[in-house]
Amino acid sequence: IFYSVISEAEQPAVIINALIFRLCPFLVGRIQYERMGSDVTMQCGSLDNDASVSWKVNGTDIKARHRLEGPRLLLTQVDLGHNGLYSCFQNPHGERRDTINLRIGTAPREPTVTCRSNTYPKGFYCSWHQQHSTYIPTEFEVDVHHNQRALEVQRDPVHKNRCHVRFPEVFSSFPYRVNVTAINDLGRASAAISFEESNIVKPDPPERVVATPIPNNVRRLEVTWNSPSTWPDVDNFPLKYFLRYRPLIRDQWQHVELSDSTSHTITDAYAGKEYIIQVAAKDTEIGTWSDWSVAVHATPWIEEPKQITSTTEQHGHTQTETLPNTQLLKYTHEQIHAQCFLLR
Amino acid sequence: MTKYLEYQLKEIKDTYLSYLGPPFNEKDFSPPRPNTTALSLPSAATRLELWRGLENRARLAQNQRAYSVLLAAVRELARSTLCPYLQTSLLHFCTGLDGLLGSISGLMTTLGYALPPPSAVSVGGSDGELQEPRRDGFWILRELQSWLWRSAKDFNRLKKRLRAH
Repeated sequence: IFYSVISEAEQPAVIINALIFRLCPFLVGRIQYERMGSDVTMQCGSLDNDASVSWKVNGTDIKARHRLEGPRLLLTQVDLGHNGLYSCFQNPHGERRDTINLRIGTAPREPTVTCRSNTYPKGFYCSWHQQHSTYIPTEFEVDVHHNQRALEVQRDPVHKNRCHVRFPEVFSSFPYRVNVTAINDLGRASAAISFEESNIVKPDPPERVVATPIPNNVRRLEVTWNSPSTWPDVDNFPLKYFLRYRPLIRDQWQHVELSDSTSHTITDAYAGKEYIIQVAAKDTEIGTWSDWSVAVHATPWIEEPKQITSTTEQHGHTQTETLPNTQLLKYTHEQIHAQCFLLR
Repeated sequence: MTKYLEYQLKEIKDTYLSYLGPPFNEKDFSPPRPNTTALSLPSAATRLELWRGLENRARLAQNQRAYSVLLAAVRELARSTLCPYLQTSLLHFCTGLDGLLGSISGLMTTLGYALPPPSAVSVGGSDGELQEPRRDGFWILRELQSWLWRSAKDFNRLKKRLRAH
């Protein structure tokens, strides 16, 4: 039987809960969180000290080392193996008096926090994680301060360990301070980081990178791309780009840095070789380079090889000197030159 | 110009911070900012919508005013510095800042904008001196850094707007 002070609004819910508890106590067993390695005492309901009870875990006898003291079950140096639903039954008739869901875990440790702005100057996001699992449900609280003011923090609807903050102003000289606290039933731990607006800016990689050969140009490739769609204002906060390319067969990259342009023509490609090309972006003043874009492959334009076959002219008397049953492929001077260069 | 000054400033700032010693030269250290009566520095920080909406004249005027004040501040900083090497670096930096200020004023005149009257620009207290040189020095250079970064964006915006007309 439950006794508790409840408001009128809560009454129906509590009554239903109590009914369920009586009918199917194993469904609504109260949870007891305990520290790993500690000694644990479980109390059977509100029975007197001289009561005699027996216990079962998940419906079976308790195999772990334990002691009974009246209505209490004592476990020593618990570990994850002790997790389970513990039920106690009053002797001699064996009525079930209580069900406890024992969950072993640890207090949280300082989370690791990082922040980044890929939507500059709109805002930034922070992510955190625990280095070690606590094995029990752990929640996080985040607060962000700037220039002695608390900023509004929006939790990410999808990622539990992420939040979003709008920049209150741009070009600020004051650092931002982000504090993340991990909380569970066994304790809490905080970690804070401090950073300046300019240090956390890192755009997403450029998008829709396309490399196309240029007709009649065996050493050229035209590369175009778009600024990342997450970057909100490329007019007022322009990006500069870094392009790298190499033939598949080579390990060394060639680099080109470009300001405020979303296209570039490679003019020194090896004829006939397949190239791999990537682009990265950065704000023109602050922050760091984005990750590399998805790699695109392209081969410069190759002239169609002409076939020379044995023929006998029908009309004329000329007979071309031919090698029977073979085909000669015609390469351009440039292509042969390139092949020799690579072989060397 | 702003990029060159930014680069120069970074070098000076590192030297200056080691000259100040701990805790100023510690990473992530940020001393409390002096209130505006003790040290009046033009703040580069602004709300995004306000910055976007600035008219060319206002945008240039804000830059002009900022560098006038900051130039006087760095000069005062150089004056109160005991280390000769640092003093020379700061004064050399001032010539660069002066050049930037001249370019801005020149641009304003070309565009037909009136320049503000040259008032006595002073950052420090009533006697012009810095009340707390170490802390003030930190913030002067810090704000200067923000302004150089902001100016690059200001000039880029100006360039686009002037091109459009």
